[in-house]
Amino acid sequence: MTHKRKLFSAVCLIVFVAAMAALPTHSAWSQEPTNKQLLERIEALEAELRQLRDLLLANKETAEQAKERAEAAETKALEATKTAQAVKSKSSYPSIPDTIWHLAGYATAGAEFRTKADEWEFGGLQFNPGFHFQYKDLVIFEAELEIEVEEDGETEFELEYSHFDILLHDYATLVVGKYLSPVGQFQERLHPSWINKLSNAPAGFHHDGAQPASEVGVQLRGGVPIGERSTLTYVFAIGNGPRMGHEGNPEFEGFGGDDNKNKAFGGRIAILPVPYLEIGGSFWKGKLEGIEGPGDLLPTSAFAKVWGVDAAFTRNAFDMRFEYLKNTRGPINSFDEDHGEVEMLEKLSLEAWYAQIAYRLPQLGNASFTEKLEPVFRYGEFRVEGSHHLEEQAHRRYNIGLNYWMAPSAVARVGLEIRRFFEEEIANETLIQLQVAYGF
Amino acid sequence: MKASTIFTVIALVGLVGLVPTASYSAHDDVPDPAQIARGAKAWAEQCGRCHNIRSPSELTDEEWLVSTTHMRVRGNIPGNVIRDIQAFLRSSNKKE
Repeated sequence: MTHKRKLFSAVCLIVFVAAMAALPTHSAWSQEPTNKQLLERIEALEAELRQLRDLLLANKETAEQAKERAEAAETKALEATKTAQAVKSKSSYPSIPDTIWHLAGYATAGAEFRTKADEWEFGGLQFNPGFHFQYKDLVIFEAELEIEVEEDGETEFELEYSHFDILLHDYATLVVGKYLSPVGQFQERLHPSWINKLSNAPAGFHHDGAQPASEVGVQLRGGVPIGERSTLTYVFAIGNGPRMGHEGNPEFEGFGGDDNKNKAFGGRIAILPVPYLEIGGSFWKGKLEGIEGPGDLLPTSAFAKVWGVDAAFTRNAFDMRFEYLKNTRGPINSFDEDHGEVEMLEKLSLEAWYAQIAYRLPQLGNASFTEKLEPVFRYGEFRVEGSHHLEEQAHRRYNIGLNYWMAPSAVARVGLEIRRFFEEEIANETLIQLQVAYGF
Repeated sequence: MKASTIFTVIALVGLVGLVPTASYSAHDDVPDPAQIARGAKAWAEQCGRCHNIRSPSELTDEEWLVSTTHMRVRGNIPGNVIRDIQAFLRSSNKKE
């Protein structure tokens, strides 16, 4: 045997011995298990499976409990957050007491040049404090004084209005007391100097004109929405009624007593198809008693009737208004100052109307002050038939004005007014008006 | 027209007006965002019907509540619209 063959034989022997040594003693394929062994093994496996199932169930319950606890914690956290937000929100809104009040009103001062007087005069001093007291959302009491300095230096006090407003519900309020006349727009809503676009009232829309001033009685009033954008507004009112003035005209000045046991009644209905357009109609009727005096005739009574229409367009920079009123009084026997006795006065007709446009200028270039400027133009007429005294006041009126708005409720204005009287013997007049007005 | 007739009519209409509706809540409610948005729009539309629109900061919440109730009557503005306006004003003036 060669050396190589001896070496090869030795290696083969070693590999064989190693392979035999590496084989398991009881391999699966080398020795089949008995049935008993298999049963034991199955039982062991089943026991192990039960343990695993129990463990799994225990783990599942723990997970569900944890989930429930997490959800509860989340709910509590949300509630806490909401509470905190509510507390924060409430603290951001100051609490409102049951009784609240507000001192409002307006003040005016100015100067005027009249061609008839041919001189400048300071005047137009007016202070109108307004008081508003409200209890919850049930009732509000409101009153306004008019304190005015007269030409002779006297200070005149007048109770402009004083009434309770009982808030019945969203669409109805009962007003009791002395109230501004609901006829038309100007007297009730536009006459305060900081709201009025010019220094004075339109022709015939002031005392001794066609416009009733105030009344003592009750009103039922409110606004009713119609659809999304439209509103119907109404005022139904009754009061003590007018009285005869010494110039033969009916005076609607809010008398605190009724001289003829006949109540005046009327009101105004308006429709706002859109919030910036308002069209209204007014009516008022009351009985007048002639003033007693010397003479052969006895005083009689007559009815005074007022009706009117008005419209307003207020959108963006434009403020346009129109108002017409006709005030008539039937023939009546009443004391006449000129003749010093009771006389039969013919039918009286007072007619007043105006149209007005105001435009708030935009900013021009870098000049932001132009936004505060508002030119105004108004034309109006006051016509009278049936009273010589009042016919002397009948005229057409042209107004051109310029407002400078220092603040939304504070204005300085300049205006030019031209009065053309219908009576030929009455000289026409031109006025230059300066005014400062502040509403608060 | 007889005064008694007029009073009767007024009283009947007034009683009809007593049908309960949503009561005022400005005294104790915190306004919701939708109401504030409606109020801002109504504020611009309703106030401008007669006069310039004033800044919410001109008055306190209490003063605005009284003032807007006054305007509710004077301007014949429905109560629900006034509540929206009040919500807007309170929101505008609230402390952050």
